[in-house]
Amino acid sequence: MKERENHHPTPKQYVQIAIILGILTAIEVALYYTEEVVGVFTDPLLIILAISKFIVVVGWFMHLRFENKLVNRFFAGGMILALVLFAIVMIERASGNFF
Amino acid sequence: MSDHGYPHEPTGVETRKLGMWVFLSTEILFFGTLITTYLIFKGRNFDGLRLEDVYDIPFTSVSSFILLMSSLTMVLAHNAIENSDKERTNIWLLATAALGAVFLAGQIYEFTEFYHKGFTLTTNIYGSTFYVLTGFHGAHVFIGVVLLIILWGVGVRQKGLSLNEGMNLEFIALYWHFVDIVWIVLFTVVYLI
Repeated sequence: MKERENHHPTPKQYVQIAIILGILTAIEVALYYTEEVVGVFTDPLLIILAISKFIVVVGWFMHLRFENKLVNRFFAGGMILALVLFAIVMIERASGNFF
Repeated sequence: MSDHGYPHEPTGVETRKLGMWVFLSTEILFFGTLITTYLIFKGRNFDGLRLEDVYDIPFTSVSSFILLMSSLTMVLAHNAIENSDKERTNIWLLATAALGAVFLAGQIYEFTEFYHKGFTLTTNIYGSTFYVLTGFHGAHVFIGVVLLIILWGVGVRQKGLSLNEGMNLEFIALYWHFVDIVWIVLFTVVYLI
């Protein structure tokens, strides 16, 4: 454990990461209330912020960026399959096959 | 945590931990399917109320922040056990369980409010997909809180978790962070967009 912990952030860094996550969440909520000002950029910005938070939690809190490649591949595999499923269904939805 | 941690394992990763990551991979598909199903019906016209008519963004934002901060207390518990700090491990575990319980209480309150306003599981198919999606997430949070309390109880009874139980803490931490990342997606997809 001693050897491994050297790669991980310190408690202070974890708190800093959590503050960043909190700020990103505040920006998300602010974007929701300023949709009329931000316009068409609102949804893409919200998606970018969500992806950023997702990456931070997975990478630093779940320590995936410090993990074995095999573990990364399993996680990426699940993500890719879910995204492929999502893409197929959304293409079908757009073509009106559901209604 | 890193690949050089388990040279005796053929994969280089502790087998139980690899199993945990495989499980989380299947959970991604599970929630991916539920989110996709929800999005099929989002934005379409149905009879009855819609989520946008009843939700309370400030309330849900605070809930989201609480769950996000529970990931911080969880990772601090993990860090404490790696440093053999038994007392802080127990404190952070209990804090994580408490924050999770507050999030759950908020979700129960939110669901109750929605029901009173007329947005129920059977209002329309959009309502059904919303409750199934967020309900399953809530069930995962509930399981996480129970696991955290059990682990905290073991720690208190034994005056600190052993190294082997520390591995259990790592599994529960992975599960807890996963529940958090699912909510990061749900908060954006369901409430904000």
